[in-house]
Amino acid sequence: MRKSQTTRRQVLLAAAVSGAAVAVPAVLRGQSSVLKITTWGGKWGEIMKGKVLPAFEQEFKCSVEADQAFPYLPKLQASPKTDPLYDVLHSNSNEQWQAVELGLVERKITAKEVPNIADVFPYAVSDKIVGVSIFTSAVGLGFRTDKGLVPPTSWNDLAAPTLAGQRGGYLIPVNSLGQAHLMMLGRIHGKGFEDLDAAYKALEALKPIKLFDFTGQMEKALLSAEVTMGVLHDSGIFRYDGQNQPIEFAAPKEGVLALEQVLNVTPGSKVKELAFAYIDYMLRPQVQKELAEGVWYSPSNKKVRLEPKYDGKLFNTEAKVAQLLQVPWQWYNAKKDEIDARVQRILKG
Amino acid sequence: MRAKVDLGVIAYFGLNGAIVFFLLAPIAIVSVFAVNPTPYISFPPVGFTLAWFAKFFANPDFINALWLSLKVAAAVLVLSMLIGATAALALVRGNLPGARLATALFMSPLMLPAILTGLALFQIYLLAGIGRPIWGLVMGHTVVAVPYVIRTTLAVLHNFDRRLEEAAAALGADPARVFLEVTLPLIRPGVIAGGIFAFIVSFDQFPVSLFLVVPKGETLPVVLFNYMKFDLDGAIAAASMVSIALALTVVILLEWRIGLRAYLKL
Amino acid sequence: MASNTAGRVSPVSAQTRRGRKATAVGWLIWPALLLFALFFLLPLGVLGVMAFLSGNPVNAPAVHFTLRHFQRFFADDLYPEALWATLRIGFLTTLAALLLGYPLAHLMARAHSRIAHALLLMAVIAPMLTGIVVRTFAWMTLLQDRGVINTTLVALGVTERPLKLMYNEFGTIVALTHIYVPFMVLTLAGVIGRVDERLEDAARSLGATRWQAFREVTLPLSLPGILAGSLLVFALSISAYVTPVLMGGTDVLTLPMLIYQQVSSSFNPNFAGALGLILLAVSLTLVIAYNKVLAGLAGEEVS
Repeated sequence: MRKSQTTRRQVLLAAAVSGAAVAVPAVLRGQSSVLKITTWGGKWGEIMKGKVLPAFEQEFKCSVEADQAFPYLPKLQASPKTDPLYDVLHSNSNEQWQAVELGLVERKITAKEVPNIADVFPYAVSDKIVGVSIFTSAVGLGFRTDKGLVPPTSWNDLAAPTLAGQRGGYLIPVNSLGQAHLMMLGRIHGKGFEDLDAAYKALEALKPIKLFDFTGQMEKALLSAEVTMGVLHDSGIFRYDGQNQPIEFAAPKEGVLALEQVLNVTPGSKVKELAFAYIDYMLRPQVQKELAEGVWYSPSNKKVRLEPKYDGKLFNTEAKVAQLLQVPWQWYNAKKDEIDARVQRILKG
Repeated sequence: MRAKVDLGVIAYFGLNGAIVFFLLAPIAIVSVFAVNPTPYISFPPVGFTLAWFAKFFANPDFINALWLSLKVAAAVLVLSMLIGATAALALVRGNLPGARLATALFMSPLMLPAILTGLALFQIYLLAGIGRPIWGLVMGHTVVAVPYVIRTTLAVLHNFDRRLEEAAAALGADPARVFLEVTLPLIRPGVIAGGIFAFIVSFDQFPVSLFLVVPKGETLPVVLFNYMKFDLDGAIAAASMVSIALALTVVILLEWRIGLRAYLKL
Repeated sequence: MASNTAGRVSPVSAQTRRGRKATAVGWLIWPALLLFALFFLLPLGVLGVMAFLSGNPVNAPAVHFTLRHFQRFFADDLYPEALWATLRIGFLTTLAALLLGYPLAHLMARAHSRIAHALLLMAVIAPMLTGIVVRTFAWMTLLQDRGVINTTLVALGVTERPLKLMYNEFGTIVALTHIYVPFMVLTLAGVIGRVDERLEDAARSLGATRWQAFREVTLPLSLPGILAGSLLVFALSISAYVTPVLMGGTDVLTLPMLIYQQVSSSFNPNFAGALGLILLAVSLTLVIAYNKVLAGLAGEEVS
C-alpha cells in the first residue's frame, strides 16, 4: 500500500521532470505496425471509428484493428500469452482484475510508460484499479419522473414496497453493475462491501425484481416504464438529454459506485510502446473531451475542460470524484462462483 | 351430417388461422418498432418514421455485415445440402455398420450449446495458427447446419418407395440415371427443406460466430447483438425487416421461377 | 395389420439384397464424416480435455488433471436442477411446437393453390429471418407487464393487475415455441406432402370419417416427420440461450445460461466444457432412446 504510493509520487515527479519529451516515443515514427485493441460499440464506437482512431493512425503511422464484438476476455484467454489477440484491452474494472489474475494483462501502468497518467485523478490509478481508468461513470438510481415517485435519495429507496415488480437490477453473474450493487448492499446493511450475509438478505428483500443483462436493456425498460426505478449509471440517463424523456438520475447519499473504463496492455504484446502511446493518447485532454461529451462519461484527466452542460453533471472535480466508491473486485472475483450460485438460488426461490 | 363436416372444416381453418396469427404477431410488433419514432419498443406507435431504415442503410458496419452474412449463408446452403443429402443417402442405403450411432452423431452439434462449438473451434484455429479465415466461419456454420439437411432428407427417405427405383432399373436405366431421374426428385423436398434451414441457421447464427468473426469481418447477428448492448433502437428492427424482405424476395423468385410447391409436395 | 406386415416383407428383403450391392452409396458418408471429425469431434475433443483440466493449457502454467468440474456439478443442487429445467423446457417446447406445427404443415402440404402455398411458406419463413434476439424482444413487447396483451387486458377491465405472462417458464416456452415451430412445419410438410392423398380418399370412400381417415392413414405415415421435427426442436430448445435469459427473468435457469456465464463472465472454459459434455451426454441418450422407440413404432406402421 505505502509502497505503491511512493512509486506513484516518484512517477509523478519523473513525469514532471521529463515533461513532454516522452510524449511520443521517437521509435514509433515512420514504422507501420498494427495495434490490436478492444473497444465499445454504440455512440462510443462511432466517435472512436469516425474521429479518434483515424487521427491516432495518422499521427502514429500505424493501423488500428478494433474489436467491438463481445466477449473479449475469453478470446484473449484462448490466445497464447506470447502472441496475444489484443495489445490493449478495454474493459470494465472487474474484468481487468480477472485478466490480471489469469496473467493476461499488466498489473500497473505508470506515468513512466504513459505520461498523461500524471494528470489523472487518483481513483483512476488507485490500488482498486488494474491498468488505468480513462473514464468513469457513476452508478446510482435511474427513475421515472412521471409516476409520482419521490426522487430517491438512498439506495434503500429501491426496496420501497410500492416498487414491487417495478424495480430493476442486473443478472449478477454476468453484469458488473449488478455485482457492485450487491457489494453496496453489504456495505449499507452490514459491515462493508465484503459482508455477503447482509447483502444476500438485502437482495432477498428486493424481490420481485426485473433483471437485465446489460445497461442498454435497463435504459429501454425505464423508457417504456416496464420498470420505474433501477440501478443504472449516470451516462445511461444523461445520454437521452434533450430528447424529452421522463427519466432522471439520482446519486444516493451513501455514495455512487464507480464504473470505470479501464485500459491495459497485454504482457506479450509485440507493439508495447505503441500500446502505451495509445493509452496516453486516450488520456489527452482533447480526446477525453470529445468522448466525454459524446457519451457522458466522466473523464479521468483533471485538465479536461468540459462545456457547462456536461461540467455540471459529470464527476470531474476533486470534490466530486471523492464521492465515487470503488469496490474490491479482487476479493469479489475470488468468491464469484460461490456468490453466483447463492444469488441465483435466492432470486429463483 | 353435412353441417358436422362443415364444422370440422371451419375448425381446421380456424385453428390454422390462429397458428398463422401466432407466427406473425411478433413480426407485426417488429415492423411497428421499425417505423415508430420512439427509440424503444413501444405499443401502440406514436408516429411514423423511416429514420431507423435510414440509420441502418447509412451505417457501413450494418451493410458490410449483411453482405457477409448473405455470402456465408449461401456457401453454407450449398455445402450443407451436398454433404447432408449424401450422408442421409449413405445412412439409409449404404448398409453401414453403426448407422444408428452415426445418425445420433450427426444430430449432436445441435445439442451442444453452440457457444462451446464456437469457442472450441476458435481455440483450434488459434492453435493451428490459421487465424480466423472466412472459410473457418463457413465450416463452423456448416457443421451446425448439416444436421438439418440430414434429418429432413432422412424423413423423406423413410417413406421412400424402393419399388420405383427397382422399376426404373428393370426398365433398363443405369444406376446413375436411376439416381438422377428417380431418387433425386423423390428426396428433393427433404433436401430443399433442409437447405432452407441451413441458410437460415447460418444467416441467424450468433453463438458459433461470436468467436470466429474478426474485426471488420463480423456477421449481421454479431453486429446487431453488440449494437443492442448500447443502442436498443429501431435500427435493429429495420435490420430485421430488411432481412425478411430479402428472404421473401428469394422465396417469391423461387416460387415464380420453379414453383416451390412442387418441391415440397411432389 | 397382418396384410400390412406381409406387404412389408418384400421391400425389406429387397433392400438387404440390394444393400450389399449398393455399398458404393455407403462411401457417400465420407464428406459428412470428414466434416464432423474436423469441425465437431476435434473441437469436442478439445472441450473434453478442457473439462478434465484445472485451466487452459494454452496460457495457464501448471495445468493438471482434475475431476473437480464434474464434482462441482453434482455437489450443488443448482446444476442438476438447471439440467432438469433445461430438459423440461425442451420437452414442453417440442410438444407445443408439434401441436401447433402439425395442422399448419398439413394445410401447407394439402394446399392446392400455388398462391396459398407461397403465402403459407412466407408466413412460416418470415419469423425465422427476424433474428432470434429481435424476435425475443418482440415477445417481450407482447408479454411484459406493460406489454401489448397486458395493457389491452387492463384497459378492457378483464384483469386489474397485469397477468404474469413472462419472467417465467411460460413466457420462455411461448417464445421458444414461436422460434422453433417453423422448423417443425417445414420438416413435417415435406413428409405429409408425400403421403398420397388418395389413400385418405380411399379410406373415406370405405366409410371412414375425415378424422378417422387422418388418424388411420396420414398420421401414421407422417411419423418419420414427427420424429425428425421433434428431434430438431428438442435439440434446438435445450441449447437455447438468448430466449431463456430474456424471457425467463429470475425464475428460469438453464444449463446453456450457466455455460454462457462460465465462458463470458467467469472465464472458466473448463467448467463450461464439463457442463456442455453433461448436457450433450444426457440429451444424446434421450434422443437415441426416442429414436429407437419411434423407429420401432414407424417400422410397425409404415409400409
